[in-house]
Amino acid sequence: MKQREFEVLIGPDGTVEVQVRGFKGPGCLEVAKWFERVVGELQSQQLTSEFYDPQEQVQYRIDQRH
Amino acid sequence: MSCVCILTPVVIAAWPALSATVVAAATSMGYTIVKGAQDIAETLEESDTAAKSVEMEIANSQVVTERLGRDQKIIVARDGVTITFARDARGRASLCVAGEGTEAELRAHGQALSQRVVQQYVYDKLKHELQARQYLVVEEELDENRAIRIKVRHWEN
Repeated sequence: MKQREFEVLIGPDGTVEVQVRGFKGPGCLEVAKWFERVVGELQSQQLTSEFYDPQEQVQYRIDQRH
Repeated sequence: MSCVCILTPVVIAAWPALSATVVAAATSMGYTIVKGAQDIAETLEESDTAAKSVEMEIANSQVVTERLGRDQKIIVARDGVTITFARDARGRASLCVAGEGTEAELRAHGQALSQRVVQQYVYDKLKHELQARQYLVVEEELDENRAIRIKVRHWEN
């Protein structure tokens, strides 16, 4: 399981700053969209270097035993 | 870290929810809620005869209400300043600040309270939505600037 972490700062005037951690690739944008739906209008968005990393892939290995 | 975004809140609430938010925000700032028909009538009379009053509104707000709720008001008072919250004709949350003092002072009182109302609204809404998604709030603190810092964690498959 992947751990995701957000840090939300609600300023004294209600402005919200969200830092999304633990994502590689554009998955963080979905989280940003969710915050936008809940809070309001997006003022600015800054992507960090992890955003440009390849997206995570999950591999399953299934062994069949007879 | 993957991204940082800054959002301007939009307040869309039904009157009962907004009034509960106003009560929570106002009491946290030391205001008392004016209750009862007699007290409200006296307070409104005092406001009418007050030296000054300032009309303001909460930006990006919309009060959703039924026809019966259109004339509802909530009045709070502190140190001779009375602030009346209501829904204006355009459906926005408006406030009238009345009392002694300059127009700038009254506006400052109104701005401080309306900002606290917006902060309280955002806090309540975020907590509710995070809980609905079963996100875990692992840390929460109020810093020296009265900003609320919330750390949220969850796990995905």
